[in-house]
Amino acid sequence: MIESLKTDLTQWEIGPYDHSLPGPMLLRLRLDGELIVAGEVETGFLHRGLEKALERQLWRSAIPYADRLDPEGALFGELALCLAVEEIAALAVPPRAQSIRVILSELTRISAHMGYIVRVARAVGSETMVHYVLRDREKILDLFELATGARVSLNFLRFGGVQADVTEGFIERVLEICELLRIRLKEYNDLFTYNHAFIKRTRGIGTIAPELARAFGVTGPNARASGISFDVRKEHPYSGYDFLDFEVPVGRRESQHLGDANHRFLLRLQEISTSVEILKQSAEAITSGPFALRKPEESFEVPRGEAYIRIESSRGLLGCHLVSDGGAYPERIQFRPPSLALLSVLPQLVRGIRIEDLPVVLATLDIGVAEADR
Amino acid sequence: MNAQAMWLNPWISGFSFAESVPQWLLTACGLVLIYCLVIVPSGAVMGYLERKLSADFQARVGPNRAGPAGVLQPVADLLKLLQKQASRDWNWREAIWLLVHTMALYSTVAVIPLGSLLLLVDTDMSAFLPFWSALVLALGTMFLGLSQGSVPGWFGGIRVAAQALAGAFPALIALLCAGIRAGGFRWSEIAAAQSSSPLLWTAAANPFQFIAFFVFVISGLVLLGIPPMDAAFSAPDIHGGVSSHLSGRKLTVFRLGRFYGFLLWSVIAVVLFLGGWELPFGLSTELRNADSPRLLQIFELCWLLSKTFLLVLVVTWIAKVNPRSRVDQVTDFAWRVLSPFSLVALIGASLVAGWGAL
Repeated sequence: MIESLKTDLTQWEIGPYDHSLPGPMLLRLRLDGELIVAGEVETGFLHRGLEKALERQLWRSAIPYADRLDPEGALFGELALCLAVEEIAALAVPPRAQSIRVILSELTRISAHMGYIVRVARAVGSETMVHYVLRDREKILDLFELATGARVSLNFLRFGGVQADVTEGFIERVLEICELLRIRLKEYNDLFTYNHAFIKRTRGIGTIAPELARAFGVTGPNARASGISFDVRKEHPYSGYDFLDFEVPVGRRESQHLGDANHRFLLRLQEISTSVEILKQSAEAITSGPFALRKPEESFEVPRGEAYIRIESSRGLLGCHLVSDGGAYPERIQFRPPSLALLSVLPQLVRGIRIEDLPVVLATLDIGVAEADR
Repeated sequence: MNAQAMWLNPWISGFSFAESVPQWLLTACGLVLIYCLVIVPSGAVMGYLERKLSADFQARVGPNRAGPAGVLQPVADLLKLLQKQASRDWNWREAIWLLVHTMALYSTVAVIPLGSLLLLVDTDMSAFLPFWSALVLALGTMFLGLSQGSVPGWFGGIRVAAQALAGAFPALIALLCAGIRAGGFRWSEIAAAQSSSPLLWTAAANPFQFIAFFVFVISGLVLLGIPPMDAAFSAPDIHGGVSSHLSGRKLTVFRLGRFYGFLLWSVIAVVLFLGGWELPFGLSTELRNADSPRLLQIFELCWLLSKTFLLVLVVTWIAKVNPRSRVDQVTDFAWRVLSPFSLVALIGASLVAGWGAL
């Protein structure tokens, strides 16, 4: 019942299920007109008890569960688990398997970043861009299907290697995709990135200052857009990233709009170029040889031990803490998902923006609710 | 009834009704028939074309199931929407909205210019009437949003009002520019001041009229909330705003109003600035001389609607590649960019008209 014009603050709850949100979460907003005065985030709606579920699996059957950590970047969960097990069991992965892992990782990163572009385009209402990027993302999913038989949840990595050697023609098609993406990125820029209306929608909102990023433990592309040069692939190389020659894009410190939504978007585009570069090098440098230490059906035991490994997922630093008591099951598995830091920093970012900016800020942050809630 | 409505009479008399049926009733029925036969189907055609063309722009297929190449998709959509159950009970506020909305829609039928003989109300103020109808549509939409008692509806309603007010001023000024050149606001005068040749259209008369044309079209987008200026109906943040709680038949009426508003605006833009209904190669004169009013009506209507569809498609094309602007950016743009330009156009058009009168 609206009897008179309200001038006090409005309360608005968005969620837990809402298409402007990256996943199930509840946002409690206090609005002054269209301005957001304060925001609170409630999470846990997607909690599946994933870490506990992993402890109930045999070592080998834990891998498909790790896929579910972040469905969009399924390979990163697998890779983190495999690297942790390999560290405890001191397994040396053959070079060919390393290269295949790097290729699949970077393809996953590109597909996740393309999904990101789609969400940003949808948040600002640019349907054309959405369809163009989805069309090209399909080609990467086709490559996954060619190599692993699955498009999203790959379940392809094994302790000490990968499940199978890549299909004939896969490497050539990876190189074709690299060439295609180089052309497409230019198209995306022409159509969308440098569109005046898009820049006006994203510039200066949801800014993460470098200090804020450090204080909340923000990592990955979001932190790099804030000018923090930290990439696990460079700082703590794994799977042979130290043998590859690539530059990690970082936001320029002197930029006036350091760490805002537009910067984060641009950085993702640059990351795709970097990944293409890595893909090319890995595809050209791939050696022949075994793709795994043993046959997949052979059982093996993980000795007693503890490991913490870090990898660079598409959203940032993904940690995996693994404890083994030498038995048939993992004793304890914990993940450190990069999205959790974003959820904690979110209330700082929504303060002072307009409600129309909220979907844009959420989309440019790239929060993976699945991995945050686990 | 205005004497201009007499064009209907030869059509009506052809059916030989009883003498006891009053003329005004026949005229009114004829109008409703025209509305149903021209406006509503043109909405379906435009909806289909928009979908198919945007599918082509966006590297996808578009509707292809209902009928050959999906041509029956608008019909399927309409039937589905009509039979859907309302998501909420009908309340008296929505009844008021429906009344205002329908009145605004039907009031335009009388004033919409569709040809030299299809002019029902051709008064000194004719060109302003569809403009007011558009504002009344916005008013009804705002009421609907405020009556919903939800935050998205509230913001949607307020944004509709803000955009309508911001767009109305430059649109009105641009309308004055066209009127100044024609020397009046009668549809017949405005059309007579132009010709079929694009060089003699108002938009091409001088640079100021060209600016006025642009301002008129763009401020229409702002006024009616058409993409990419549709922040009032934005989906990601306020779930479509006013329409967030509408479903079924209410949504049908609402969508028809939105689409019809766009079509109406494009028709007016074509009549004011793009030569109106005058047929090329002197066909209009020949048909008039040959005393075949029905053929003239049909050809003029088709010619006018073709130009209108082209304008609609160009606007849709631009809308497809541009992101949606934020509502404060939209109103800011209307007040601080469109309005000054419209004033420049008005001053320029007045000077040109005064120069010509000397």
